[in-house]
Amino acid sequence: MGGERLKIILSLTPPLLIIFTLFFGGIFYGFLQSLGYQPAIGKYEINFSAYYNVMFSERYAKLFWTGLGLNLWVSFASTFLAAVFALFGALAIRKTFFAKTICNFIYSLNLPMPHLVVAVGIIFVFSQSGLLARFASQIGLIGSPGDFPVLVKDKYGLGIILAYIWKEAAFFFIILMSVLQSLGENFEELAQSLGANRWQRFRYVILPLVMPNLFSASIIVFAFSFGAYEVPALLGVIYPQMLPVMAFEFFLNPDLNARSEGMALSIIIAIIVMILVVFYFWLTQAKIRKD
Amino acid sequence: MSKLNIKNLIKSFPSMDRPAVNNVNLDIESGELVAFLGPSGCGKTTILKMITGLFQPDSGDIILDEQSLLNIPTEKRGVVMVFQNYLLFPYMNVNENVGFALKMKGVDKNIIDQKVKEMLELVKLPDIGLRKPKQLSGGQQQRVALARALISNPRILLLDEPLSNLDAHLRDEMRDLIVTIQQKLKVTTIFVTHDQEEAVLLADKIALIFDGELQNFTSPKKYYEKPKNIKAAKFFGGVNFINAKKYNDNLSTNIGTVHYKGENYTDLNEDNIITIRPENIKLSKNNDFNDNSFKGLIKSVIFSGTHTRYKIIVNDLELECSLQSVGLQDIKKDDTIYVHLPSDKIWAMNE
Repeated sequence: MGGERLKIILSLTPPLLIIFTLFFGGIFYGFLQSLGYQPAIGKYEINFSAYYNVMFSERYAKLFWTGLGLNLWVSFASTFLAAVFALFGALAIRKTFFAKTICNFIYSLNLPMPHLVVAVGIIFVFSQSGLLARFASQIGLIGSPGDFPVLVKDKYGLGIILAYIWKEAAFFFIILMSVLQSLGENFEELAQSLGANRWQRFRYVILPLVMPNLFSASIIVFAFSFGAYEVPALLGVIYPQMLPVMAFEFFLNPDLNARSEGMALSIIIAIIVMILVVFYFWLTQAKIRKD
Repeated sequence: MSKLNIKNLIKSFPSMDRPAVNNVNLDIESGELVAFLGPSGCGKTTILKMITGLFQPDSGDIILDEQSLLNIPTEKRGVVMVFQNYLLFPYMNVNENVGFALKMKGVDKNIIDQKVKEMLELVKLPDIGLRKPKQLSGGQQQRVALARALISNPRILLLDEPLSNLDAHLRDEMRDLIVTIQQKLKVTTIFVTHDQEEAVLLADKIALIFDGELQNFTSPKKYYEKPKNIKAAKFFGGVNFINAKKYNDNLSTNIGTVHYKGENYTDLNEDNIITIRPENIKLSKNNDFNDNSFKGLIKSVIFSGTHTRYKIIVNDLELECSLQSVGLQDIKKDDTIYVHLPSDKIWAMNE
């Protein structure tokens, strides 16, 4: 028994050492920097002034809180809309073999596409000089491409939301298709024979059945979009700016003192994402206990 | 109480080279308990799904109380199906599961609570309302599924293999419960099964289906005594079949002339087949019988507890006989024996 336990511990030690050294070591060093500890520039004191500066100083507070608001809005809206599109898409085509095959193919192609490429695609299609604007202008829907609504590099993050919907809907779709296929149609048929109409079958049968998987996927997508840098950097505006972009700009600042603020901001993003993950685990564990 | 008529029902699927349901006609009376019996893939569940509206027939009609169901959507037919694997909604407790149909109808919550209580008492599970399906045994899940189906007072209750997932003990209990409830509520009920014993024990009438075609629709007793054809006879344990020809109001066979009293003599073709159940054949070492007595040789004797089975060769024809073991004459392999086929137990069929 004891020998077996020792064997397991010894087998796990090498990967755990790597994870702790590289991952937690990096986080710990970043956390120290966020507390002002930067020996390279002769700063050894530990304090929370970088956190205070980012969140409450006259210089950065407005940027931070509007950025946080934009982050929450973009992550929530894109996650919600991607999930909704994927859900209705999956429900619409799950019974038709041909459409299902085509959609599976398209979404499977979309899934490995880097976010950066999708962001550039959004610029090509949805910007005021993009394909849609030119097409609308060509067919006379608008006077000139410049009259096309600002969907990219706008202060509401619409372009960023579009990019995330484009990308994450595929992820949701693949998860939902597999859930719906494993569930089959029996529950719906049963509900139908018990008198449930189309809406009631969706509301009281399909939604509760797919919700656990949809919720798990949503947490992953939300956490990802909340902390991701490249899409907001390409499709966002200077103000308001999403937090990851803001953090990166602190790092690019020639003044090395600004690194503490950048690290503080990164740690804040990480903490928010971790709170979400903990909340997710708490919810799922509560559900398991309830079941 | 609802009367169901199925008229010339046909349904094909692209993946099959024959119709899944081929020209089925059935008249089911109000309050009857009917079994659709047949092997897997014979089309019985397809008929059930057409009655619920989950499948549309290619042609034919399904008439409930003089009204065609074909243009009525499933949710408005008042035909409720209990699926083979119960399908209790896993995210709802028992009360919510049972009250589902009434909730869909927008019935007041207090009334739903009251009806749920009544239904759970009916299925003898009054104290499990707050449990989740995972916390129930297979038998309990089946009862909850039955309560859920009955709460909306369906016009027709359909049960898809209702006992197949239960062990032997629960099966007996559930069988009794289904019969009791069906008789109490007088709801017209159809259940699907591949188990001949289950059909015989439960049903008022059995619709025997092979390869999408209805073979016979009659009482369980008739399947044993007067099967319509050789397929039906075999499905119900028939093993003795003798080719016959009509001859002077009797039947001529290669074991001799058989005296026949069946009321269907005039309907028989010139060439027909005689059947007799193994338990209806009598054996004697001396020729004690007046008619339909043939000399044969015992080929094998198999003792199986309460009964003993004999295989007898009569003029190259093999017959099987099953006699109660108690008080048997001493009949052994290779004995010469007289085989009696009582004329009132013989049945002749055209195919």
